[in-house]
Amino acid sequence: MCAEPSVLESIETTMPLQVLRTTRESDSVVSLDLATIDGRPVPEWQPGAHIDVKLGNGLVRQYSLCGDYTDRSHWRIAVLRDPSSRGGSQFIHANIRPGQQIQVVGPRNHFHLVPAERYLFIAGGIGITPILPMLQQATAAGTPWTLVYGGRSRTSMAFLDSIRHYDSGNVFLIPQDECGIIDLERFLSRLRPNTAVYCCGPGPLIDAVETVCQTWPPGSLHRERFSPRQRSESADDGSFEVVLAKSGRVIQVAAGENLLSALEDAGYKVTNSCRAGICGTCLLTVLGGTPDHQDDLLSDDQRDSGTMILPCVSRSKSKQLILDL
Amino acid sequence: MLDVKKVRGGSGLDPISAEVDEILASAEEAARVATKSFFDSFQKDPNPAALATWLETRVWREIDYVYLLNAQIGRYGMRLQRKHITLLAKQSFQEAEHYEDLGQVLENLGGTVPTSVPAQAQEWSSWLWECMDRHHLAGIAAWYVSETSASGSFEPTFEGCGRHGYTDVVKCYKQIEIDEKFHTGLGRQILSTYTETDEDRAEILRAMRGMQKIAWKTFTPENVAASMAARSASAAAVAN
Repeated sequence: MCAEPSVLESIETTMPLQVLRTTRESDSVVSLDLATIDGRPVPEWQPGAHIDVKLGNGLVRQYSLCGDYTDRSHWRIAVLRDPSSRGGSQFIHANIRPGQQIQVVGPRNHFHLVPAERYLFIAGGIGITPILPMLQQATAAGTPWTLVYGGRSRTSMAFLDSIRHYDSGNVFLIPQDECGIIDLERFLSRLRPNTAVYCCGPGPLIDAVETVCQTWPPGSLHRERFSPRQRSESADDGSFEVVLAKSGRVIQVAAGENLLSALEDAGYKVTNSCRAGICGTCLLTVLGGTPDHQDDLLSDDQRDSGTMILPCVSRSKSKQLILDL
Repeated sequence: MLDVKKVRGGSGLDPISAEVDEILASAEEAARVATKSFFDSFQKDPNPAALATWLETRVWREIDYVYLLNAQIGRYGMRLQRKHITLLAKQSFQEAEHYEDLGQVLENLGGTVPTSVPAQAQEWSSWLWECMDRHHLAGIAAWYVSETSASGSFEPTFEGCGRHGYTDVVKCYKQIEIDEKFHTGLGRQILSTYTETDEDRAEILRAMRGMQKIAWKTFTPENVAASMAARSASAAAVAN
């Protein structure tokens, strides 16, 4: 057996890059072109990739690479000045200038463009950034695609010139002040086989796309969130009650309380292992109510059936959940 | 029963998922056949020492996983989401529990809990560590196959041990069966989440194919017979 390393060691290293130029892409978005200090090519990347940017104020923020993925002279990221920023975007807009060095880690890619016969891209606001190089890749591959891109207003929507370059009747720009919010039913209600849907944008947009895509084949939808999903709660205060059908017993599950723990505290032994929604060993049958699935294992069909739940992570959307216990 | 191969994660394994599943199925079936073969042999000569010897390599696997998982976290952990560090650490804890519980069973059978890699597990252990040293996902790919292969040994073990009244072995393996759903689901999720390049996929397949050829071997009656013969020869040499 090999000896273990005695120190924590990360394979990914921090890399200094120089800001080549900054470009205003909309009234609230600025792009940064980043090159190596010594002029060597930047590392290869694929559409969907992002980098960590270590800001001088101690913050680390993730930004999608949004430039030409075949051009290794520099990387491009784009940053929205967010009024609710906790310091990241405000810092970049106020402090980063051409010639400055910044530290980055990556790239990483958790949002690959998978092979498909057709793509439907849906972007909201700054969510256009990972989509841009995907348009380039899909176009280069000759794969047909449609882009639906929404924003607050035309002046707030970044990279419109770049997008027009690709437009052959397959681009739908939806400035909210002119057209209202994106009519997802229009683009998603007709199920197209072998179409991959890519969505990036604010949480409510992704939640809405997930809802409309429930009838699509499993695996059709690929999304990247700016921030983790807000876990939904059932009743107004987040609590719900569980009726155990075999005994008729009723257990209250408080807001924030884990369902599996509540069952265990009530004296029920439920087989389990990971307590993270991965192993499926705590699977229970649901006889009534609406589960709020938070696991990583049930398929879309299994979730939609409403007949099963992994209580280690999932809860209830309804005020009452009836379990076959 | 839910299929942990379908766990949600990234799409990094998509281009090779058919081959990955084929390797897993093959490894599981090979372990099932080897285990059944051992218990068929054990049925003819139910010598507790043979069962103890059969369990030895299994016990070693548990503690080797503990070392491996902690090394994986130490070496590559900062590339992972925090939840995956937590889950790998949780798996490591469960493997340590298996080492303790199976070790107790082994001692009850008159065996000795291994504190260094048994000769019959050397090839398996070396491959696991070589993969871990070589690539940040290859160690996980190798243990993913190894853990999945072990799933094939459960039913023949329950049947074979149950037939001879070794209820403590059955009880121990029942818990391992539950936990291995978690471990294999986690392995799949980590691989699918962090695999990014064709090079990653090539390393994963290399690790999996290598383990596929090895994982089942320690379950065979021939392996147990060789271990017992080597131990007898060693004891005789000491006596002389």
